[in-house]
Amino acid sequence: MLAQLLANGLVTGCSYSLLALGFALIYFTTRTFHFAHGAVYTLSVYLLYTFFNLWKFPLWVAILIVLVISAIFGVLMDETLYVPLVKKGSSQLIQMLSSLGFYIIIINFIAMLYGNETKVLLTGVQPTYHFGSIIYTRTQLLILITTAVLVPSFLLFLKKSKVGMMIRAMRDNPILLQSLGVSPRQVRWFAFAFGSVLAAVASSLNGLDVGIDPNIGMPALLNGVVGVIIGGVGFFEGPVLGGLLLGLLQSLIIWKTSARWQEMVTFIILILFLLFRPQGLLGYKRRTEETGL
Amino acid sequence: MNYLFHLLVMINIYAILALSLNLLVGYSGLMSMCQASFYGLGAYISTLLIMKAGFGFIPAFFLAIIGSVLLSYLISFPSLRLRGDYFVLATLGFQIITFAILYNWVGLTRGPYGIPGIPSPRFFTFSVDTVFSYFIFTLFIAACCALLFYWIGNSPFGRSLKAIREDEIAAAALGKNIVRFKITAFAVSAGFAAISGVLFAGYMRYIDPTSFTLNESIFILSIIIIGGTGNLSGPVVGTILMILLPEILRFLKIPDSVAANLRQIIYGLLIIIIMRYLPQGISGEYKFE
Repeated sequence: MLAQLLANGLVTGCSYSLLALGFALIYFTTRTFHFAHGAVYTLSVYLLYTFFNLWKFPLWVAILIVLVISAIFGVLMDETLYVPLVKKGSSQLIQMLSSLGFYIIIINFIAMLYGNETKVLLTGVQPTYHFGSIIYTRTQLLILITTAVLVPSFLLFLKKSKVGMMIRAMRDNPILLQSLGVSPRQVRWFAFAFGSVLAAVASSLNGLDVGIDPNIGMPALLNGVVGVIIGGVGFFEGPVLGGLLLGLLQSLIIWKTSARWQEMVTFIILILFLLFRPQGLLGYKRRTEETGL
Repeated sequence: MNYLFHLLVMINIYAILALSLNLLVGYSGLMSMCQASFYGLGAYISTLLIMKAGFGFIPAFFLAIIGSVLLSYLISFPSLRLRGDYFVLATLGFQIITFAILYNWVGLTRGPYGIPGIPSPRFFTFSVDTVFSYFIFTLFIAACCALLFYWIGNSPFGRSLKAIREDEIAAAALGKNIVRFKITAFAVSAGFAAISGVLFAGYMRYIDPTSFTLNESIFILSIIIIGGTGNLSGPVVGTILMILLPEILRFLKIPDSVAANLRQIIYGLLIIIIMRYLPQGISGEYKFE
């Protein structure tokens, strides 16, 4: 029982860490609390539903199209929503509230087009695989493998490539980066494109696993954010670790109490972290002026 | 006619809520996302006292305020040390925790089944049970609250809050205890939000946790963002606009299935437009930077 719960927790943790990494990519570099990340999450899985279930594209083609669209959508959103605010010198608070407004618009637009009811992407019984006492469905295995491949290689990309270096530089010191002649606007494009793609991957896989409704975005985003806070601000490994830990922790909560209290315990953990270890597990103490977060 | 008075009752209730949040957002510069939890706590505390413990309306009314104020310390003490995004996140967490408790503690709150049959407020022999009398009753309370807020806003306390909002370090240098001021503002705000909750429960005569969700907190926040903050007229204008907007859509004969979503889309658009072009809201004083 515990083994199976932990195994499921690992799958949940994987999708949290994808989401947390995507959110962190945007949050750490642009300092924007990107609520609309939840809208990208919802929108991309509804696009998948449209291409795969309604228009009968093959699954991998549909996913590919969705990833491309969500990357473009992320960049366009930054250009139309945040860049004008940044140019005006608006505070993080204004950006956060605009982001919330944008989230509300997208979610209700989706609900208007597709209805509020839950939609299932994969019908029929899914094949299962047994590993000792643990049972995984095929979609769950797909989530595990995708995360295991995608996340480490993306972290490596951030470490080694020029784009990754620019992103990390902007995370650590945006002003210094500008003085070296790199346009922060370009780095923003990369952050929003990659971040949105990661959200789309998480939501597509999750949607295939458990189905979708218009309101999945906010809870998913909040879990991702809790993962970011647990893991720590300042390193991109932090959110990945935090997301995984949160998934496992939530399965332990179900084991000890019941699924009813899962949300509450999650947010109690969030508040405890904000209070006693605001830098997260991997982060180190920095002055607010230094991080701007 | 009842329809009109119903809208006016809702405007009165939400005006108190908006004014209470205004004390945090507009006067103290604290972006709180848990106003609906104090609204809900007020509603639940008074209802449970009346229905389970046999209290009268007046003692339940005041105990609900006191209970809400005390519970506000649970979140204000820890979170007021946090800044910016982290403060918003902590209040958002508190909102979700409160909702989870109201929803899942079935033994006390009946959870998703809600509490039906709440008696109308009674004063000695007079029961406020028609829509019109409830309108007069809530108008009286809302007017009292507005007067109190006017007084708070012009008192040394209110002006200190504004000073903290404008420049925390300068206010501290003048010897203001920033954290204590913010905690008090939070408590006062929670107390007023509880008043709205009591009025709501007595009016609807049925409550369930879905009236007090994160979305409700966001709705209250959008009222004062759109109306404006930092004075009395902003939140009131925002309330009137946001309560009447769905009714206007109804008169435009937009089908119900679309109207709810369309309303939300308009709210979202208004927030974005106001944030970009009119950061002080329609009639507010405090300008978000």
